[in-house]
Amino acid sequence: MSVPAAQMWTVAAYVLRQKLRGRRRYPLVLMLEPLFRCNLACAGCGKIQYPAQILRKQLSVEQCLRAVEECGAPIVSIPGGEPLMYPEIGRLVEELVRRGKYVYLCTNAIQLREKLEAGLFTPSRHLSFSVHLDGRRAEHDESVCREGVYDQAVEGIREALRRGFRVTTNTTLFEGASPLRMREFFDEMMDLGVEGMMLSPGYSYSKAPDQEHFLRKTRTNDLFARMLSKPKRRWRFNQSPLFLRFLMGKHDYECTPWGNPTFNLFGWQRPCYLLQEGYAESFQDLMETTRWERYGRKSGNAKCRDCMVHCGFEATAVNETFGSWRGFVETVGVTLTGRF
Amino acid sequence: MTEPETTLEGWTPEPGPDLPLERIIDLAFDYRGDTTVVLTDGTELRGYVFNRNADAGEPFIQMFDADGAGPRAIPYSRIRTIRFTGRDPAAGNSYALWRRRKETGGAGRDERGRGQG
Ligand code: SF4
Ligand code: SF4
Repeated sequence: MSVPAAQMWTVAAYVLRQKLRGRRRYPLVLMLEPLFRCNLACAGCGKIQYPAQILRKQLSVEQCLRAVEECGAPIVSIPGGEPLMYPEIGRLVEELVRRGKYVYLCTNAIQLREKLEAGLFTPSRHLSFSVHLDGRRAEHDESVCREGVYDQAVEGIREALRRGFRVTTNTTLFEGASPLRMREFFDEMMDLGVEGMMLSPGYSYSKAPDQEHFLRKTRTNDLFARMLSKPKRRWRFNQSPLFLRFLMGKHDYECTPWGNPTFNLFGWQRPCYLLQEGYAESFQDLMETTRWERYGRKSGNAKCRDCMVHCGFEATAVNETFGSWRGFVETVGVTLTGRF
Repeated sequence: MTEPETTLEGWTPEPGPDLPLERIIDLAFDYRGDTTVVLTDGTELRGYVFNRNADAGEPFIQMFDADGAGPRAIPYSRIRTIRFTGRDPAAGNSYALWRRRKETGGAGRDERGRGQG
């Protein structure tokens, strides 16, 4: 595990407070999307396909801060679009850090070096650049549909580390990923000096027979089990070990879609970061009027059947860690032994 | 096998017994391009439908106009139909298609998404 102790303590104290208050549903990470524009066009990315007038729009810093206050989650993740293209990103991050939030700025890092050189950010333990890297050079450039992006991202990471920033990586894996190449990628990232890595399987939905769904889940479990078997002590993951064990097929969790609520130009997205089933005007409206029973792997909703993604299940794993002795002991065990 | 790429671009549906207005609204909400919302009084509004709430006491859609103004809310009861008049930015962006184009020297939406930022 590589999440700094202060951050872990903030999250643990927050979860315990929610439990003591008897709150059944509470957010853990706000997914704040200030804009949908991006300087890449990765195949299959569901975030950037909008008409021009929508791509030109963006939230104001004040709208973002209101959403942060409404939601109350201790962690704010800023995906997009590409957040470095948001003209007010410096001020937004500064305001979030000032409010004591832990900020993950999710970026493809194409502009990272340039923005750092422009002095847009100040190092803080509350700020981490979460760089999108889907594997080693060949795999990443293929994933983002443009050659040279891996090198640009690595250059950005080096510059951020040199300036004393926290840097993590976020990697989405689709079918066909090679466990061996991914293990090499983990070594590469550790050599580079990143604080930790975040992994998630990609989301895919297709109308397929039951057998195909079962095979898909088995293949995902198999990929993660092979990738994370006998993990090297030096590999550090910036996420719950129980989530990684879930991906390896060692747990059968249900998703927690309200754990990572999403706010963007359209409002509060129902029900989760991936599915767009509508928008609520306020966070309270999202929590109170979303028909949560329609979502999750056990709901029977075809769109949720194969889903094992980070934004749906990491909150479940964190809740398990801080909400049950069994989960807590298991998390401590993995942390101490370094074995998943 | 790869599913054929389909798009509703150019579709001008008329609601009827086999195609209720609610279904057209759902499709317009899923559509990633601009549409033209035709009201019962004949007014035509071009823009992007980003929300629909069929569970509300008075079901409504929300849209941004083609020039970005808005959002405005329109009750279902004021809508006659919706035409799929804008370009579909999601058409031809499947991962499989991109792989094929790359292999043949020539980039490529199936339902695929990153599970994190
Ligand atoms: S970098 Fe991220 S937001 Fe941009 S196109 Fe790729 S997946 Fe989408
Ligand atoms: S199972 Fe996945 S797609 Fe369905 S609500 Fe949960 S996170 Fe969203």
